Amino acid sequence: MLGQFPRLLSYLKPYKKRVLLAVILLLSISFTPIVLPKLIAYTIDTVLPTHNSVALFHVFLAIVAVYAFRGVVSFWLNFTIGWLGQRVVFDLRFQSYRHLNRLSLAYYDSRQTGKIMARLMGDIDFIQQMISNGFITFLADMLSIVVILVVLFMYQWKLALVAVAGIPFYVINFKLFIRHIRPLSVELRERWDAMLGVLQEKLAGITVVKAFAREDYEIDRFMQTIQDNFNIGMKQMKLNRKLGSIAQVIRAIFTGLIIWYGGTLILHHHMEIGELLAFSALVNQLYDPAVRIVDFNVTVQWTVSAMQRVFETLDTRPEIVDAPSAIALRQMHGGVEFQNVFFGYERGQEVLHDISIKVDPGQVVAIVGPSGAGKTTFVNLIARFYEPSRGRILIDGYDLKKVRLESIRRQISIVSQESLLFSVSLKENIKYGFHDATDLQVVQAAKHADMHEFIMALPFGYDTKIGEEGIKLSVGQKQRMSIARAAITDPKILILDDSTSALDSKTEANVQAALEYLMEGRTCFVIAHRLSTIMSADLIMVLDAGRIVDVGTHEELVAKPGVYQSLYNEQFRSATEDGLEALLS
Amino acid sequence: MRNFLRFLKEVKSYWRLLVVISVLTLLTSALSLPPPYLIKILTDDFTQKHLSANLPHILILIFAAYVLLASSSAITGYWLSYCITLLGQHFKMDMRKKLYAHMQTLSLGFFEKSKTGKLMSNITNDVATLDQLISGSFVNVLQDSVTLIAVIFILFKLDWRLSIVALSVYPIYIANYLVFIKRIATTSASVREQRETIYGDLQEKLTAVQVVKSYARERYEVLQFTGETRNLLGLNVRATALSTGLWTLAEFIGGLGTAILIWYGGLQVMQGRISAGSLMAFYGYIGGYLYQPTLRMIQLNDAIARTNAALWRIFLNLDTKPIVTDKLDAKPMPAIRGEVNYEDVWFEYQQDQPVIKGVSLHVEPGQMVALVGASGSGKTTMVNLLQRHYDVIKGRITVDGLDIRDIKLASLRTQVGVVIQETMLFNTTIRENLRYGRLTATDEEIEEAAKVANIAHVIEALPKGYDTLLGEDGVKLSGGEKQRIAIARAILADPRILIMDEATSSLDSETETLIQEALDRLMAGRTSFVIAHRLSTIVKADKIVVMESGVIKEMGSHHELLAEGGMYASLYSQQFKVALEAIAAQNELAGEA
Repeated sequence: MLGQFPRLLSYLKPYKKRVLLAVILLLSISFTPIVLPKLIAYTIDTVLPTHNSVALFHVFLAIVAVYAFRGVVSFWLNFTIGWLGQRVVFDLRFQSYRHLNRLSLAYYDSRQTGKIMARLMGDIDFIQQMISNGFITFLADMLSIVVILVVLFMYQWKLALVAVAGIPFYVINFKLFIRHIRPLSVELRERWDAMLGVLQEKLAGITVVKAFAREDYEIDRFMQTIQDNFNIGMKQMKLNRKLGSIAQVIRAIFTGLIIWYGGTLILHHHMEIGELLAFSALVNQLYDPAVRIVDFNVTVQWTVSAMQRVFETLDTRPEIVDAPSAIALRQMHGGVEFQNVFFGYERGQEVLHDISIKVDPGQVVAIVGPSGAGKTTFVNLIARFYEPSRGRILIDGYDLKKVRLESIRRQISIVSQESLLFSVSLKENIKYGFHDATDLQVVQAAKHADMHEFIMALPFGYDTKIGEEGIKLSVGQKQRMSIARAAITDPKILILDDSTSALDSKTEANVQAALEYLMEGRTCFVIAHRLSTIMSADLIMVLDAGRIVDVGTHEELVAKPGVYQSLYNEQFRSATEDGLEALLS
Repeated sequence: MRNFLRFLKEVKSYWRLLVVISVLTLLTSALSLPPPYLIKILTDDFTQKHLSANLPHILILIFAAYVLLASSSAITGYWLSYCITLLGQHFKMDMRKKLYAHMQTLSLGFFEKSKTGKLMSNITNDVATLDQLISGSFVNVLQDSVTLIAVIFILFKLDWRLSIVALSVYPIYIANYLVFIKRIATTSASVREQRETIYGDLQEKLTAVQVVKSYARERYEVLQFTGETRNLLGLNVRATALSTGLWTLAEFIGGLGTAILIWYGGLQVMQGRISAGSLMAFYGYIGGYLYQPTLRMIQLNDAIARTNAALWRIFLNLDTKPIVTDKLDAKPMPAIRGEVNYEDVWFEYQQDQPVIKGVSLHVEPGQMVALVGASGSGKTTMVNLLQRHYDVIKGRITVDGLDIRDIKLASLRTQVGVVIQETMLFNTTIRENLRYGRLTATDEEIEEAAKVANIAHVIEALPKGYDTLLGEDGVKLSGGEKQRIAIARAILADPRILIMDEATSSLDSETETLIQEALDRLMAGRTSFVIAHRLSTIVKADKIVVMESGVIKEMGSHHELLAEGGMYASLYSQQFKVALEAIAAQNELAGEA
């Protein structure tokens, strides 16, 4: 269970000196809690009865000195601990994020963004709390228990035995209740999440609720979930309070016992009243640390599972890394060749089967096929988001695996159906493809994408922010923004993955014009459903169930029976025939 | 402040619980006061020159007092917690229900304007903040003020001079707190902001990881992130330093107070003005009963300020009026035949910006209407008006001759089915998702609907069939499969009027064929409105309505409109130009051959 712990400790290693400092500081203030009761006892038992006002003034000075010492040391200690926790968090986060960026797309395919974020933020925060609070509190508790016990036994061992006898009751009471409370907390958490789920779903899907007029039904369902929350919340409170109440009574019984037995001891002159007062003050500092120590393993368990999640991310090996001997392909021409490429996302499930195709620089290739045929997978392999399980992909005759990843991706641009833009200014979004671009180049790219006039009409022009705090762009505008972003990189290979299918026809015409401009003189791979796009391609590649079933020009393919012909017939004939009649009439 | 008064009004309905809580609070504070006084009795008895003979009895009495006090305070404490939790939980439940039920009555426009996350946070976090104020701060302050008054009273009663001396550091203690707390507040606000920035950035970059990777921007992103987290580190360290500083100083000031008390009090004891026991009582009361309650009372101010924002958001939601409501004399819609009539309909989302400008359209029962036009031309608004998500501002829409504003909303919507581009399915079983269309549907009916929607074979191939969970914890369906489930759901609802808004535009052609079949079956015999830009869908319509900036430009069948040679014809030829040319060329070739 503690397997991850040494690894966490290794994060503290660079800060060995500060850790050592913290330990020394901790040791040096651990005796301060016992000083004050002793001084009070001394005052009551010795100073006051003897009317020694000089000694009284010394007590005054001593108390001030102890507090001053304690203040300085504890500030230093807490600051050091806080710093250590924050620093380790920073290191862990930095490492995790850097690692996340190295991981290949396959990692992201199988995980939700929310979960990755939870690791990066929540889990790492938890570890920080563990370092800053959990560990130190544990150490401090251990120390203070030992010191207090030693002092108590030195005062009066019989009385100390009475005090110690209370601890087991206290701890057992805690253990008995907590066993039932913890599962309830987990359940409460689950119910709460369930409630959030219902809310999220039904508020996001409000159109469905309203369309079926299911408002009352939904209110009832929601009531059920919050009623569940209510019931468990009450149950948990009851158990918590019972635990607290019994603990309170146990403490009172033992404090009472100590006073009674201590008083008897005073009567027999085995002890003095000040000592008894100091004793009972010290005993009070014994119970809570004892429970915290007993409960420490739970904190450890939580931390370990948080650590496991974080380290799991760190231990995932990126699938795609540059070979040590990889060369940088500075000037790409854009020739692409697939040689007997096989690929599957999961073992035993082949998505691409024995793909071989050769594309010359500057050619436009249309990829056609039913959904699930492997079209997107095919283009993803060109950008080396995934590695073929067999076969080779060559760019300008170089094996993709032997070329530096970055140098290739810089020269390939993808415009996909969903345009993902960032919440920064329009200019920065366009420059995302090429950070060193000049303003002139940005304007040019925007012009190519037919966005320049729109942008200039905005009050802040290119510095207008988009996203939540800025303006909202329409789907067509977003699409043209991502075209501008692709244009500025001057890619040699352009991949258009269903770039226009979510647009209506008028918007599409605009975007199409921008795309055609962008496609000029580059090798292009186009996944599209529109006949006009497909027909103007130099080469049409028909995929079905991961295999290339046909390659050729439109004229060649439409002439022979096959997948393309039937696709073509299915989608376009009825429409075109009708149109033809109208056109010919 | 007005919000706050309104909030108090909301709390007022729990007044019985509040009275019980007040009484229990008084009891609990009272029971917490005696222990230092017991110490005084003990000390005084033992520091007397001649120990009294009944000391053993006094000892037993003190022992009994301790146990008795603790037991009764345990009991009152238990009931106090019980009542507070009951109040808090009830308040939260009632408030959440109120908010959620209210949101459900609001019209679609409200949800288009507000983000789901914000609405959720309103129901969850904002309500929780209010609860903290009620069951946390309020109760504490009540208890604290009682304790403070009682303790100060006891102290002055014991010895007023010593009280003044002992309380001399008290103002310094408060001043120290006030000086620090302002800076701590600003720092933690910056920490929060910085965290949110990082969070937002992360969310965006992780969602768009493919963009990051395809532009090979990983190193840049890591650098960016490092900069942001380094800022966070700095802010966090500053926050740690400030709060550690505050509490260290506070402890020192408190210690100083104790030192002064022991010194001055000790002199008083020597001079015989007070007893050693009184000094010990002072020591106990000042250390344990004074500082914490004071600070908590100061913090109330912040708690109220924090609540203010939450209150404002909650009331804002509750005060939003639904745009569309049932008239008092609204009648339920009888079974719809399907005749729809738009009579000179005008509509605007914002004042003086009409989106629909005097549209008249007559649809016979069972007809299929295709709405065509550029984005922003008002197609979706047209169908939203028919579902009465909004009310027209001029003119009227009738269904079977009845103005839809005169009939009960629910009775209209249950008879109007909608299939939209983004299919919304819920995270439950396929069966439950289908049943959402008609809650009373039998399993046979559900399976029948799935068959009609061309999805039954997909569902039956799943290991758990209709009981397969969808969504995060369950299987993922493709866009086309989801769409067909939505169609099956609509089939179950058996709507008399059907609306399809871009239902098939994001699908590829083979999937589309499957769905088209399902849709054709669904549309048979029903009045349907279809928004689509695939001409293959549009050409089949009985009536094609071409819209531009809120006006109907052309209306007629495919052939009529092509012959007219207007907007539709040019839209059509634009999309099919290449294809038409190719076919024409082929035909020519064939002709020549």
